Order: sequence, then C-alpha cells, then structure tokens
Amino acid sequence: MAKKVLVVDDDVNTVKFLSVALEENGYEPLAAYNGKEGLEKIEAEHPDLAILDVMMPKKTGFVLFKQLRKSEEFKDMPVIMLTGVADSLAELDDQSEDTHERPYDNLREKLRTIIQSMKEDGLVKPDAFIDKPIDPEKVVERVRELLGD
Amino acid sequence: MLKRINIFLKLITCNFFAFVLIIIILNFYHSRQTYSYAHDESGFIVEILSAFLVHFVVTAFVFTAVSYFFVRFFIKRPIRQLQRGMDKLAEKEFGYRLDESRKDEFGALSESFNEMASMLESSLNELKKNRDYIESILETSADIIIQASPSGKIIALNSGAENALGYQRNEVLGKPVEMLFRYPQERAEALKKLGDQDSLANYSTQFKTKEGEFRDVLLTISQIRNPSGDIIGTIGISKDVTEEFRLQTELLRSQRYASIGQVFTSVQHSMKNMLNACMGGAYMVRTGLKKENHSMLIEGWDMVQDGINSLVKMSKEMLQYVKEFKPTLRPVNLKKALSDIDDNVRQSADDRGIRFNVKIPDGLPEVICDETMIRSAVMDLVSNALDACQWKEYKDGEFAEVVLDAFEDHENHKYVIEVRDNGIGMTEEVKTSIFNPFFSTKSKSGTGLGLSITSRMIGVHDGEFDVESEPNVGTKFRIVLPIDGPIPK
Repeated sequence: MAKKVLVVDDDVNTVKFLSVALEENGYEPLAAYNGKEGLEKIEAEHPDLAILDVMMPKKTGFVLFKQLRKSEEFKDMPVIMLTGVADSLAELDDQSEDTHERPYDNLREKLRTIIQSMKEDGLVKPDAFIDKPIDPEKVVERVRELLGD
Repeated sequence: MLKRINIFLKLITCNFFAFVLIIIILNFYHSRQTYSYAHDESGFIVEILSAFLVHFVVTAFVFTAVSYFFVRFFIKRPIRQLQRGMDKLAEKEFGYRLDESRKDEFGALSESFNEMASMLESSLNELKKNRDYIESILETSADIIIQASPSGKIIALNSGAENALGYQRNEVLGKPVEMLFRYPQERAEALKKLGDQDSLANYSTQFKTKEGEFRDVLLTISQIRNPSGDIIGTIGISKDVTEEFRLQTELLRSQRYASIGQVFTSVQHSMKNMLNACMGGAYMVRTGLKKENHSMLIEGWDMVQDGINSLVKMSKEMLQYVKEFKPTLRPVNLKKALSDIDDNVRQSADDRGIRFNVKIPDGLPEVICDETMIRSAVMDLVSNALDACQWKEYKDGEFAEVVLDAFEDHENHKYVIEVRDNGIGMTEEVKTSIFNPFFSTKSKSGTGLGLSITSRMIGVHDGEFDVESEPNVGTKFRIVLPIDGPIPK
C-alpha cells in the first residue's frame, strides 16, 4: 500500500504540484490548507510523513509541528518544513549563533527564536527544511530518504 | 577738629580784645603819669596810638605764629597723608592704609579712606579672580577659541586652538585669521551670514592645520562690542567635529547598505513565492507533456501564469512606489466610486467565507480627490482586512466580518472612511512597522509595498491615515479626507 504524505500549505498551487509530484512517485498525497485543517487530517489519516509550510493562517506550521512533537502518537512522524529562509535555519543545526552577516530579516529572526525555544524545550527539530522556490523533485527525494524507500 | 578750631578762634578773639583793652588802659594810665595836663592833648593821643600799634603788631605776630603751628600740625600733615594715600591708590597699591588712631575728623576720614581702599581691594581681587577664571576656562577649553580684530587679524587664541591647528601662538598672532581656513573665503561668508546679529552658531567649515590637514569644525562666531556698542572684534569658538563627521558618514553608508539589504531581502522573499508557482507549474507542464495529460498541462501552465502575474504586479507596485503621486482632483461621490470595490471584493470574500458589508450612507457630500487613488487605497485596506480574517481561527458561532463604512465629520469638514475587520489583529510591533516599505506579514502574496503606497496616496490628499488594532480582536483603518481637497501647493 502506498505511503501517505500530507502536504499542508495555504498556497493552493504548492499543494497541487507537490501532490502531483508525490503521486507520480508512488505516494498517496493528502492535502490541507491551514494548520488547523492539517492537524485534523493527521489525526484522521495518520500519514507517514507531513510537509508543513511555516507561514500559514490558523495555526502556523511551527505551532502545528510543536503540537505533533509533544503528542505521544505523532512525535516520531517525520516532518519536512517549507520556508523562505531554510538556508539560514539549517545553520542552526550546528551552532547557536548565525555567524553570517545578513541584513535584518523579521521572519528569519522569528524562526530562529522558535527553533531556539524548541531546542530548550528538548523537542526534536524538523527532519528537513526545504527552501522556496520549491523544486518538487527535491522534495520527493527528501521524502524517499526519510521514509527509507 | 572743627569744633576745636572754633573754640580756639573764639579764645583768640576774646584774648585779643582783652589784650587790646588792657593795653589801652595801661597806656592811658602810663601817659597820665608821664605827661602833665599841661601837655597838649594831640601828643597824648599819638602816644596812645603808637603804643597800641606796637602791641597790636606783637599780638598779631604771636597769633600768626600760633596759627601757623596749629595749621601745620593739625591740618596740613593729615591732608598730606591723605594725599599720599590717594596717590598710592592711583598707583594701584590697594593695600596702603592710613593711620586712623587720631580722634579728630582726620581720624574719621582716614578710617573712611581705609574702608574704601579695602573695598576697592576686595572688589578688584574679585574681578581679577573672575577674569582669571574665565581666562582659564578659555585657555583650557578643548574648543578652538580665536579672537580677531575688526580688520581680521588674530589677537588671541587658546591652547585648544594651538593643539588642534598645530600652530604656536607667536606664529599666528597678528596674521589674518583667514589663513586658518581651508577655503579663506569662508570666513567672509560666515561674517556675511552673521550680518548685524551678535552671533552666528554652528557654521560648518574646515580649518587647515599647520601640517596642511583639514579639520571639520562647527564655528560659532560672535561680535565683541565695547560698552558704547562699537564692534571691537570677533571671537570664534569652533568645535572640531572631524571624527564625528567621519563616523556619521560611515554610519550613513552602513545604514544605506543595510536598507538596500533589507529591500533586497524583501524583494527576494516576494520573488521566492512567485518563482515557487513558476517552478511548480513548470514541473506540472513537464509531467503533463510526458504523460500526455492535457489537464495537468493546463493546470501547470495556469500556475506559471499565476507566478508571472504576481511578478508583473510586484514590478508595477515597485514602479508606483518610486514615482511621484500627482492626484487629478475633481469632486467625487465616494459612495458611487467605492461601489466598484464592492463588486470586485464580494466574490473573494464569499470564497473565503467572510461577510463583507458596505455601510456607506446616502447623502454624504462629494469630496475633491483623485477617484482612482482613493479607490485603490480603500481596495488595498479591504483586501488586507480579508486576509486578516483568513488568518484568524474563529470560535464556534463567530463569523469573519469586514465592514466598509463612511461618515462626515461636520465639525472639521472631513470625510471619514473606515475599514474594520474582526480578524487576527496586529501586535504593537507589527503596527509600528506596517507603513514601512517592504514590511510584510504575508508569506505568500505581499510585497510589503501596499500600505506604504496607500499611506502616500492619502498623504498627497492632505488626508490622515491611522490604525487601531488589537491582536485576535480586529483592526480598524481610518482614512480622513478634507472634503474640499488638499490645499494647493
């Protein structure tokens, strides 16, 4: 049976092309358009992996993600996060400080704080960050890696 | 003293008359003894007169001698002493004191003199202290202080000037003060600016040091006048701001880079989302072609088109942002003009399950404004309000609502447009940033230019634009337009 992958993004286009790409590669795509809907889908369908956009109406991707990591049932579910600032977030893996000099960026700062607070809470950070603009083939590749296919 | 002289004079006078009387009597008696009645009467009188004369002369001599000694010892000496005291004062020997042990008027005078001298001494000391104090302030001041004569020659300068400009006092005293300026004509310019005023503050100029280096200074130049008001020169106090200028320039440059960086980051954020649609669309077109799936191909192509449209929109907005807004003013019935928004927005609101109510009453006055601009501004606010509702998680029984309202502010003769929503609201932090260009809270669609452009459009109408908002309660944007239009510039 095909593994279920949930795509949660308020951008209809992204949900559509990622669903197409996943389906083309033998996965069963599920779709949700905001964080709240995403949680409902997860609880109802128990997907094998979730792809969450960070900035979404009605519960952001991070709020949803934290909820998943805190729940007994879904804490081990692999999660890929879509964001415009994935490149700088990846640096947080190894170091607590962003050593690169970048112009001030609201969103980046916000995400840094969230990830920092997650680390402090002892939560496991997302399994992968994927930068926008999204290359659907790269997403599929990451999904394969994480699901061990 | 005077009393004593008076008594003395009286005594002398009495004595004198008594003396004369005694002499007359004595002479008369003596003559009677010496001359017989047989002698003729005239000889007798001559006798008496000559005796009287001799006695008178003797008396006068004694009186004069006594007076002389009196005057010499009691008047002339103390006056001379007083005169010497005055001379000493004139010679600025303020410490000189008179002997005030005498009990007479001269003693009192000496006491007054001494008092006056000590007062003079202490006030002069005070003056000197003040002068020394001011001089030491000027001298030790790190500022460059230079005094010039009316003809522009350097009269004095402090060590601050020596240190900053590298000259020794004797190298510049008497030379024209222009020599210290990088551009000598700037002194004349400063004086021209000074004109009839007493001082000119913070004239920005450059000095040239002895080594030929240039120092940026802020020069405050003041006219010095004598007590009768004539100008007797100028004093210039200059602050060396070379370092501050350098830091300021550096700061400006780094700020410029930072803001350019911020613009790039924001543009890149917006572009990422647009390119996302293009990339995803291209993937679908490719897959559709490969699988000969026509509907997938069409869907993919639409997606690419979406991305292109967004890019075109952003490019237009950016262009609009940099251009100057010139409103085409005419009287506009805003209820009618804004009904367009109603048609456009209703569909989008319905799709998202948001109630959109237009409550503009009839009978409001026409407003002199640029119809297109105001419509576009209101449209922007309404579409923001719809987004704000979409982002909020409503409780059961609650529904998302956006209201477009207008009323007349009779008192101020203004037309007020309000766009209210019960959406996600804004934090104080967001609220203070929303009018900044390229600030956006929307990850997908915003360029961050919308409100900044709207705010400028209201600005060219001399209108006011403000916002009230509370997180998770809602937001109210308000545009206040003068009914008679902007004041012609």
